[in-house]
Amino acid sequence: MSDASVPDLPGSDGRPLLDVAELRTTFHTAVGPLVAVDGVGWSLRRGARLGVVGESGSGKSVMSRSIMRLLPKSRVTSTGSVSFDGIDMMSLGRRELLEMWGPQLAMVFQDPLGSLNPVMKIGKQVGEGLRVHRDLSARAARSAAFDLLEEVGIPEPHRRIDEYPHQLSGGMRQRIVIAIALACSPRLLIADEPTTALDVTVQAQILDLLEAQRAERNMSLVLITHDLGIVAGRTDEIIVMYAGRIVERAPTATLFSDMRMPYTEALFRSIPKVSDDSHARLEIIGGQPPQMTDLPSGCKFAPRCKYAQDLCYAEEPALIEVPAPTRSRSAITGDGTGGSDGGGGEPDVTHSYRCFYPVGTDDAAEALERNIASGRVNEAGVVIRADD
Amino acid sequence: MAGSGNAHLRPDALLSARDLVVEFPAAGGRTVYAVSGVSLDLAEGETLGLVGESGCGKSTTGRAILQLPRPTSGTVQLAGQELTELDEDAIREVRPRLQMIYQDPISSLNPRRRVRDIVAEPLFIALENVSRRTAMAVWQERIGELLQSLLRRAAAPLRIVGRLASVAFVLWILSETVEDRAAEGWLGWTQVPAAIIGFPTLALLLLAGAIALLGGLIWVLLAVMLPFGLMSRQFGEVSSAVGLAGVVVTTGASAFMLWRTWSSFGGWAKWLNSGGLILLTAVLAVWLVLSLAKPERAGASGVATTLSAMVVLQVFYVAGLDGGIKLAVLVASAVVDALLFRWVLRRYRVNRDAERERAEPRVREVLEYVGINPDDAMDRRPWEFSGGQAQRLSIARALVSVPQVIICDEPVSSLDVSVQAQILNLLEDLKNLMGLTLIFIAHDLAVVKNVSDRVAVMYLGKLCEVSEPDAMFDAPAHPYTELLLAAIPQPDPEAELGSGRIGGELPSPMDPPSGCRFRTRCPHAAQRCADEEPEMREIAPGRFVACHTPLVGETAPVRVEMASASRDES
Ligand SMILES: Nc1ncnc2c1ncn2[C@@H]1O[C@H](COP(=O)(O)OP(=O)(O)OP(=O)(O)O)[C@@H](O)[C@H]1O
Ligand SMILES: Nc1ncnc2c1ncn2[C@@H]1O[C@H](COP(=O)(O)OP(=O)(O)O)[C@@H](O)[C@H]1O
Ligand code: SF4
Ligand code: SF4
Ligand SMILES: [Mg+2]
Ligand SMILES: [Mg+2]
Repeated sequence: MSDASVPDLPGSDGRPLLDVAELRTTFHTAVGPLVAVDGVGWSLRRGARLGVVGESGSGKSVMSRSIMRLLPKSRVTSTGSVSFDGIDMMSLGRRELLEMWGPQLAMVFQDPLGSLNPVMKIGKQVGEGLRVHRDLSARAARSAAFDLLEEVGIPEPHRRIDEYPHQLSGGMRQRIVIAIALACSPRLLIADEPTTALDVTVQAQILDLLEAQRAERNMSLVLITHDLGIVAGRTDEIIVMYAGRIVERAPTATLFSDMRMPYTEALFRSIPKVSDDSHARLEIIGGQPPQMTDLPSGCKFAPRCKYAQDLCYAEEPALIEVPAPTRSRSAITGDGTGGSDGGGGEPDVTHSYRCFYPVGTDDAAEALERNIASGRVNEAGVVIRADD
Repeated sequence: MAGSGNAHLRPDALLSARDLVVEFPAAGGRTVYAVSGVSLDLAEGETLGLVGESGCGKSTTGRAILQLPRPTSGTVQLAGQELTELDEDAIREVRPRLQMIYQDPISSLNPRRRVRDIVAEPLFIALENVSRRTAMAVWQERIGELLQSLLRRAAAPLRIVGRLASVAFVLWILSETVEDRAAEGWLGWTQVPAAIIGFPTLALLLLAGAIALLGGLIWVLLAVMLPFGLMSRQFGEVSSAVGLAGVVVTTGASAFMLWRTWSSFGGWAKWLNSGGLILLTAVLAVWLVLSLAKPERAGASGVATTLSAMVVLQVFYVAGLDGGIKLAVLVASAVVDALLFRWVLRRYRVNRDAERERAEPRVREVLEYVGINPDDAMDRRPWEFSGGQAQRLSIARALVSVPQVIICDEPVSSLDVSVQAQILNLLEDLKNLMGLTLIFIAHDLAVVKNVSDRVAVMYLGKLCEVSEPDAMFDAPAHPYTELLLAAIPQPDPEAELGSGRIGGELPSPMDPPSGCRFRTRCPHAAQRCADEEPEMREIAPGRFVACHTPLVGETAPVRVEMASASRDES
């Protein structure tokens, strides 16, 4: 589902930088095939920021690794198409991929210590990519590394450049990982939960750093997280994943103002917010994420969905696309936002979701009422009988 | 903040920690000032949120309250009882009343044990405290656990190794009874095949034999002590006396065997041949004595070493005997060991089963409280659960002994948002249901606000602000609180980003700034902040702040002047 309808930024040539279509990655496990990413497709413009959100195990990391072609060598198959600036990533060999990683695409992982070499000095690790891709001398690479450390806000770079990763705090390590990723000025940076291991203040610093560097380098950014709060102010478009599928995709403002997918709504409502009173009851998503080797038929979210009807268990909804209002109401309140906005907004940006009873429609309200009446869902909107 | 002072403490608190100081020695003779004079108190039924950046000393404070380890100085009173002055035994009795829940649910639960035992654990400690549980009883339990798990895991490979080894061993001994060892030298021709199979497997035999065949003395020791150790109060003293006697007897027997072995090899002449093994034996024997002398420290490696040493000694003892009697002793010791082994294990199981039966209704009850179906979960192991479920198990374990206070150390930080919400709601429900009193440590202010009745903000080993959450979040009084609040990501695309970030990193706790510890990152810092440490004081009813110029209260306008003044200076 390449997305030709999204307008390009001024100055780009009209082609998306990254185009992913029908991406499907299967692990062959002892208990059978595990389809970790199932038919995912999206595209990303130059300089644009995409957020990917979903619970643990929803396939976010596997998707990004499939795009990077960083999957394990055995017991896994990955099909579909990944086109980066017109280059078919799926057909590249190891050598060509090595050329791509760094100057074209780079990745920042969740665990900074795990992605650094514990026995190599910081300066050398940061400069290494430059030596390989730019043929810099050791001295030039070192001075470039010094500049990069300064850019990512490492205090006392002259001292840190000769230190080892274990001598740095978690926040500083993540800055180093970002410096390494930025070294060859990649055109696309995929940050997979770059701040999940960090505390709020450091998280804010790292996210600011990513944003500043992205803007300065006109880089595209894919920001993966399970926290909707992180992507809210920092992305142009958001993809919500569940059980290896895209279940909703919308421009950020639209997603927050007109979320359609019951799963997105549930995720949003389960976040504690500072604006709420203390001891405010959190709305939980009942049940567990599905067993990936034994997915339910029909809608994968149905067992946990407060709107689910018989139809949802019988048939899996397709990802449908509707025009999105470009600028929509700011805060969502949770009560209905009315039917689909026929002609309300400019129809050139799309909003996709995968649901028979989208949030905010009369159908959804009726479905919820039926579920409350039948005792499947309690008055607070929480699924109490997780199976039909 | 970096303030001291106890203005915020209340007289009627259930738990009251005063002027806690925790310092750790660091390399180069330096000191880590992890907690420097923190005072906290908790009213019954209250949740105190403790919030701050990572490394600021939140967990260390929580552990100091639990006396794990004891604070360098300061006092902790639980319902009027002073904990810092209690000895180890008395502390162990207090522990069931003070429980802890950790950040990483799965790794904080023992992977070898079943849910029923994990959840029941604090209960046994609680019950046995009444009957004065001795160090020896703890030790017996540990050995029992270890052996059971070793047996389970290593059964198949050990059987093979054990068989190989015993064949080699018997061959070797037989060959010696046929030929005179002294005449033939160390490696006679009949011994070669045995030696080839025997020696490489000897190392493995150390462990294999311990479990499958030998180690009889340990078993005797256990057998004598176990029935006493698990009995009631009156036998507590007896059990430790018997235990001590057991240690003395075992150590004496080992020394005797070592000496017999030494002489059977004919002194120095044989030393060169058997030197390596003798040396090993000696080292192991020393370890054995050491680990027996400090039973509480005898963890897995200590016990494994002990057992290995026993085997080596028995081997050498048997080897040192003459002629046909050697085979007889070998067979006899194997049979006796095996019988003892079975008997002890069965006894041990009977005891555990009785304990389990007693605990079962309570365990079921708490599992139901935390939303886990006991019928499914009781016999599973922690790694078979998801992170959220494992956190529920840790909560169940913390609840089972009906503690007066639970210290939750980042209980939701490693969980997904959806699971986090479930756990937060669960804690809230349990609080209403059971009247729990909680200390809730987290770095996420939104989470802390959601669960707390009172919030304490911490920075670099000191408290900044203590206040009721709604007031604190509406109008933070301490500059650090304000900056922490600004850092929270809001799930709202319109929310403003990037206003007032805390720059830089937390200063090193080995070299904290003078005066107010926050001054190096504080946007309002003035000269006074470097010279003088702010004291905790009440700036509005129920709001306590340690800052010279808080953002709320009568001094607030002064702050602006001072801040601009300091800017002019620099
Ligand atoms: N190497 C592997 N072999 C088998 N299954 C795997 C492998 N890597 C991932 N999976 C499975 O693929 C699914 C998606 O995993 P992924 O790591 O992408 O989740 P995620 O959304 O990034 O979650 P988290 O927040 O925990 O990182 C999960 O069910 C996971 O168990
Ligand atoms: N056993 C220890 N030895 C030396 N320093 C320690 C030890 N435990 C904690 N620290 C130091 O004490 C400070 C506070 O640690 P901790 O309480 O774990 O922080 P938090 O829980 O707030 O993340 C940190 O600087 C940490 O490195
Ligand atoms: S309403 Fe039906 S289709 Fe929509 S998310 Fe719920 S279960 Fe799935
Ligand atoms: S104003 Fe001074 S006392 Fe107050 S927090 Fe800042 S540095 Fe500390
Ligand atoms: Mg992941
Ligand atoms: Mg901690």
